[in-house]
Amino acid sequence: MAKVLMKGNEAIGEAAIRAGCVHFFGYPITPQSEVPEYLSKRLPEVGGKYVQAESEVAASNMIYGSAGVGIRVLTTSSSPGISLMAEGLSYIAACSLPVVVVNIMRAGPGLGGILPAQGDYLQAVKGTGHGDFQLVVLAPASVQEAVNLVILAFELAEKYLTPVMVIGDGMIGQMMEPVEFPIEGVGPPLDPGDWALNGARGRDKRIINSLHLDPEYCNKINMDLKAKYDRIKKNEQRWELYNCEKPYDLLVCAFGMMSRICKTAIDELAQAGYRVGLFRPISVWPFPYATCKQAMQKAKRVLVLEMNMGQMVEDIQLAGQGTREIDFFGTAGGKVFSPDESKEKMLYSLKQAGAGKSRAGVSQPSSKSEGKPKKKKAAKTAGPAKKRKAR
Amino acid sequence: MKGRVSIVKRTKPKNIELFPSDRLIVVVGNYGSGKTEVSVNLAIALTAKRFSVSIADLDIVNPYFRCREARILMEKHDIRVVVPPAALTWADLPIIVPEIKGMLNPKESQVNLFDVGGDEVGARLLSSFADTLGDSPYALWQVINSRRPFTDTVEGCLKMKAGIESTSRMKVTGLVVNSHLMQETTPEVILEGYHLARRVSELSGVPTRFITAMDDLADAPELLEVEVPILRLKRYMLPPWIRPDNEEDETDETPAGRTVPIGRPQGAK
Repeated sequence: MAKVLMKGNEAIGEAAIRAGCVHFFGYPITPQSEVPEYLSKRLPEVGGKYVQAESEVAASNMIYGSAGVGIRVLTTSSSPGISLMAEGLSYIAACSLPVVVVNIMRAGPGLGGILPAQGDYLQAVKGTGHGDFQLVVLAPASVQEAVNLVILAFELAEKYLTPVMVIGDGMIGQMMEPVEFPIEGVGPPLDPGDWALNGARGRDKRIINSLHLDPEYCNKINMDLKAKYDRIKKNEQRWELYNCEKPYDLLVCAFGMMSRICKTAIDELAQAGYRVGLFRPISVWPFPYATCKQAMQKAKRVLVLEMNMGQMVEDIQLAGQGTREIDFFGTAGGKVFSPDESKEKMLYSLKQAGAGKSRAGVSQPSSKSEGKPKKKKAAKTAGPAKKRKAR
Repeated sequence: MKGRVSIVKRTKPKNIELFPSDRLIVVVGNYGSGKTEVSVNLAIALTAKRFSVSIADLDIVNPYFRCREARILMEKHDIRVVVPPAALTWADLPIIVPEIKGMLNPKESQVNLFDVGGDEVGARLLSSFADTLGDSPYALWQVINSRRPFTDTVEGCLKMKAGIESTSRMKVTGLVVNSHLMQETTPEVILEGYHLARRVSELSGVPTRFITAMDDLADAPELLEVEVPILRLKRYMLPPWIRPDNEEDETDETPAGRTVPIGRPQGAK
């Protein structure tokens, strides 16, 4: 299929359609409004339904209902809107229903601003809503990867019957890049399995409910969820290592768009003879702790760069378990580090580590791998597990 | 008024000729067709030809990547940039500054460019000028990128044209081909858009005014068959991880003297 030029938000909408998503409920908020706008045009073309909800709270309950009756569904929002959806997501997780949520993050806290940020990391990976539940959270670093991860998000949601979130900063929603879709046409409908409320004629009735007054039973629900999350932790870690095949002095940890700016900086530093590697978690939950630790062990020092005030740092600390010094620089409010600023931070950390230019002479920058995560393990890279046939 | 812009070594027509009606140039098209990049490049090209150029950012639908982000760069080229006040640069409000109405009737040596927001939604605000404009001449150029959804077919382009004309209460007077896939653009992509626009021209009677090509593609032999002028483009609206290749435009300054949160379209060291 020929490549097309798409805005991230449009591409996210189209990816959902290719994955067979036929319902969208949501509410406009900058910088993700092009997703509902695009889907309001496209969903009717494929026999789907688009409803602009009266609020994000309502939208989160509408996706709960849609998933409950076994119809593949998407909602998208931006930071303040996601906070409003938190209640619904807790119910959906409690009832083990497959939904996909996209958060195109803007500057916060509060209303913040419309510019890009990564300030909802902790909200997404540690504490979206009340109770013991967990979202699977994927963080793309290009428009193409956003497409691949939205398609993957539906697969994971249905494989594990759990809500999956894709987080990107406002840039990924607003920027244009050439993309191609791994699926032609519209994917097949959701398998209603043995849980969807799709008509009880000829079978026992099913109930979807999250109110469990019996402590024994409510505990069992929690234990079942934990078992599921343990399986996800075991099977679904994804990451990218960049410039890590050769020895390096400094390991930079960054996710999403920030990692892309870091790559430019790392390439330029490599040309100047500095040895810097990059670890980028693609699944920020489950966080690839083991790989991160291995990558950290090979470096003298670690630098975390984020478009927030250091929300991922504690995951890096957990991975490193105190074995490496960790520097952090963050930016928020919509301000994005430039490659030069990133280089400056990297040079600071290199200096702290006592690492200078490589004695072996100028090392070549790693090949550009934007949009194509290095296939460390074939089964664990981004992208759909298999191309699905069009319906 | 006669004006000639852009010099490309070719056997076919070399320059973009400006007609008398081209003193008020309104650039429309669907989201992501490249209106802003075309407008900024055109403004700079026209200034080089000694026109007094003003450009107004009328994009009230996009939150980022608007021509206000290239303000410093354009001001360096003596282009008057009419944008919302600095404090409201990132306000996400549909701001139309009062100077715009004064731009509707340009003088002899002036060219006024309006960079309008995407789709028929973005073009809607033009209807508020229709009465003031009256019978004054204008150019309404529809930018077409054949690699964008909704304008990859003749029908799609005509539908977009009809939608824009309906909400703006103005008529499209020219087509501009800006077919590209950013850094993955090939001459074939440009030609594909050119042929698409020619079919749209045949069906609608609206002429294809010029095509665009990045500097490194403009002289590709494949493009010799193109019978309309080529506007050579530099990319100014860049995401932060891509270095600008136009050294001459390097500056540390930022729009309105503030940090540029998105791209650094005016270049950086």
